[in-house]
Amino acid sequence: MMEFAGEQVQGAVQAQGGENGASPAERRARQERRTALMLISPGVLWMALFMVLPLVMVIYVSFWTQTTFTVEPTLTVDSWVRFLTSPTYLASTWATVRIWAVVLAATLIIGYPVALFIGLMVRNQTLQTALLVVCIIPFWTSFLIRVIAWRPMLGTEGAINTILLKLGIIDTPLTTLLFSEFAVLVGMTQIYCVFMVGPITFMLSRIDPSVIEAARDLGAGFGRIFFKIILPLSLPGVIVGAIFVSVMVLGEFATAASLSGRKVNLLGNIIVSQVGSLKWAFASVAGVILTTIIAAVITVLLRIVNVRKEM
Amino acid sequence: MLSLNSVTKRYGAFTALDRLSVTIPDDAYVSLLGASGSGKTSLLRVIAGFEEPDSGTVSYDGKHLNGVAPHRRGIGFVFQNFALFPHLSVENNIAFGLRYREQEPVVDPADVRQRVADIVRLVGLEGLEARKVTAISGGQRQRVALARTLVTEPRMVLLDEPLGALDANLRERMCDELRAIRERLKVTFLHVTGSETEALLMGDTVAVLSAGSVAQIAPASSLFSAPLNADVARHLNAYNVLSGKAEGGHFHADGARFPLPDHPVPQDGAPVDVALRFDRISVVAADAAEPLDAVIPARFVASEFNGSSVLSFFRMDDGTLLQVVAHLSGPPPRSFESGALYKLAFDPRDVISFTERAA
Amino acid sequence: MEARVLKPILGVYCAAFILFLYGPMIVLAILSFQGAGGGPQFPIIEWSTYWYRHLLGMTEPGRISRLPIGDSLLRSLTLAVMTTVVSTVLGVVTAQGFRTRFKGSGVVFYLVILGMIVPGVLVGLGMALLSNLLGINRSWWGTAFVLHVVYTFPFAFLVMLAIFNRFDRSVEEASLSLGVSPAQTFRRVTFPMIFPGVLSAMLFSFTLSYDEFSRTLFTSGRELTLPLTIYGTFSVEIYPNIFAFGVLTTLFSFTLLLIYALLMLRAVRSARSFKGQEEAA
Repeated sequence: MMEFAGEQVQGAVQAQGGENGASPAERRARQERRTALMLISPGVLWMALFMVLPLVMVIYVSFWTQTTFTVEPTLTVDSWVRFLTSPTYLASTWATVRIWAVVLAATLIIGYPVALFIGLMVRNQTLQTALLVVCIIPFWTSFLIRVIAWRPMLGTEGAINTILLKLGIIDTPLTTLLFSEFAVLVGMTQIYCVFMVGPITFMLSRIDPSVIEAARDLGAGFGRIFFKIILPLSLPGVIVGAIFVSVMVLGEFATAASLSGRKVNLLGNIIVSQVGSLKWAFASVAGVILTTIIAAVITVLLRIVNVRKEM
Repeated sequence: MLSLNSVTKRYGAFTALDRLSVTIPDDAYVSLLGASGSGKTSLLRVIAGFEEPDSGTVSYDGKHLNGVAPHRRGIGFVFQNFALFPHLSVENNIAFGLRYREQEPVVDPADVRQRVADIVRLVGLEGLEARKVTAISGGQRQRVALARTLVTEPRMVLLDEPLGALDANLRERMCDELRAIRERLKVTFLHVTGSETEALLMGDTVAVLSAGSVAQIAPASSLFSAPLNADVARHLNAYNVLSGKAEGGHFHADGARFPLPDHPVPQDGAPVDVALRFDRISVVAADAAEPLDAVIPARFVASEFNGSSVLSFFRMDDGTLLQVVAHLSGPPPRSFESGALYKLAFDPRDVISFTERAA
Repeated sequence: MEARVLKPILGVYCAAFILFLYGPMIVLAILSFQGAGGGPQFPIIEWSTYWYRHLLGMTEPGRISRLPIGDSLLRSLTLAVMTTVVSTVLGVVTAQGFRTRFKGSGVVFYLVILGMIVPGVLVGLGMALLSNLLGINRSWWGTAFVLHVVYTFPFAFLVMLAIFNRFDRSVEEASLSLGVSPAQTFRRVTFPMIFPGVLSAMLFSFTLSYDEFSRTLFTSGRELTLPLTIYGTFSVEIYPNIFAFGVLTTLFSFTLLLIYALLMLRAVRSARSFKGQEEAA
């Protein structure tokens, strides 16, 4: 690299006569750009080979011919037709969308007041950071363990039933808590809520308190202040949080596998089970449909607010 | 000897340096005076090689520096914010260049220690060698920045407003020390500043940078007494500059008419700028009877005391603001009545006229 | 509704939320001390450390088989270290490249960020298909490893990008003006100054890789990583030994976090000094 720079010097001096029309500034800029491209190329190459190529493979293989235990690169739309005409698979597509919508709404409804408290009500910097850290710490622990932890909570002899029985609210244990869609929704909401709380708190903590005070001095009630000032200013945070939660929930399969007792089959579960039985083409079709849903959701969310501008 | 030939540097639509040419002699203290936005820092960055010009050449002793990487130019740079290495001690900051430079690094630790000790003594940092650079004062950081550069024996040192971050007392002391250090080391200092006092005090030679090019480069004393054009005169912050027309050997503007000096001879009706030093004006009452060679009527605005002198502001009828300095060593200055009309009297021989308008 | 009323209500709500976050883990931790004959639920028939000993193979072999965590733990740690090294290097190098403006930087930015967005099950499937097509054997140190980097590299990149955003370039220029080459400048000045960021990038990469399983599921071949071993128990009946494991692995994560906090505390001192310099300017 040093040798190379040495040649550059020579070249630059010779070029002074105008043999090479570029100005010194342009030559420097070109050299810097070359260095930058050299620096980013390993990362770009890695992503192209190990992310883009596999994703292209998924689309490609979704058109392959599926035989009992293998796939052949003869192009066909058989797998697509089978998927789109099967009530089972359409139902699981619907389940994916439904669970996504419920979890998204739940994380927003449950998370927003928390963000409101941490970001806006707590004005002590240290306490604010401490509360945020407390919310984020579970993120550092094992995801699968957090999923499994819901089993002794929701089971027939679990913590919730035990408490409810002791309090005399129910006489017989609730059996619908665990191994149901409810369990999946609760588990996902708890696990992904942090990703909603974080970005909203961040946006709320940037609101100048004097703006709210001024509004209050002008006689605006809390409702008015909330809908006219707080909500619009926190919207980019909501969108970023919604993107995080959506992407993770839509690609999920472990929570459903562990907590639904096979009652909930998301697209992710379809992919896993199809791969398990070597139905590669079919798994790919589910993958492409999943990708399409995720892309559509992100596009719609980004339409609502120009996140890049507002952050 | 550093030469810049027709150097232009643009940032988007903004032209920072506009066909600038200048020669910086060896073994000299050159100060570069310019208002903020005049391209001072761009000039230093182009010389140091952090940026390349859009056109024009930079050369040292006849050899082109264009396209030469900054670390191969042998030109030191002292930053306004000092830019010390925050993770290193004072000693390691100073030894940094010696140890790690590409050409002729000093590998013998004893040699490094000796050279660092020498320069530490020169800049007066004894006893602070082991400190972290965060645990020393602003003035001491300034010295570390200087020592770090000087120890590598560059052929030239660029100082970007080196005193800007220091308080007033320290600034004065550093001025003397900078000059003394430079004279001992015989290296060229190019010192950029926005303060005319600092520029005139420090530089053997002063260059005035205006609108991206050098308006005048001259020894400090002659620059001050004979600015080349109205622009330079304005930068010196010691001259009232008036614009008007020449009429029969007289300067003529709204509310002012007085004889012009013989040189240069202006054509009748030609536009002419004149410069009149703040301290060559005396203030007399509007109804004063004694005959005066040249007067400008103006109303008093305000005064401010600057220790050894009083600066008074007057406004001409057309709105032009004029400044008058009275040294307290002279007769005690009168106090003026706000808004009242006075005559500002001066010797026409003290008027400097410029027939060529500055760009 | 007045803020005076709202604040305490929200405070209580926030406390309830934290209970919601931690509740299951607390219950899990309690149940991990279940006695030998007890199940994965209440009541606790007898407080004991039986399931911890069971996990570590210190009990008599019984009806319930041990969790096969030994080898998979080693694999997961090795994989996490490999991933940390590669993704941190890639993150630093790519962010360094982004300090110069270049055409197409937006596209490259989103390409990298996509790595943390795209669902693991999708890239996992794609990688499995690709290795089938190319006839490559799937392994945790090969196909799974490259996917782990795809996932963690964007985090490292974002952390480093944030660090470089606040970086004072003049310190590097000072080094250059002393005759020090760009490469040496990076090694002697830039790297020590961005080290706190590097540390954060490493923590992110390690934790995410150590816990990652949806990308590993289709790509690790026969030899399982730790999360895959845990995932394997999802389909069968669970026993308190997995709770004991959960407690231990959580403690491990906290230890990691603590080490990071201590290292950061040391690094923050130089960061603070850096700020002092800016104030002087």
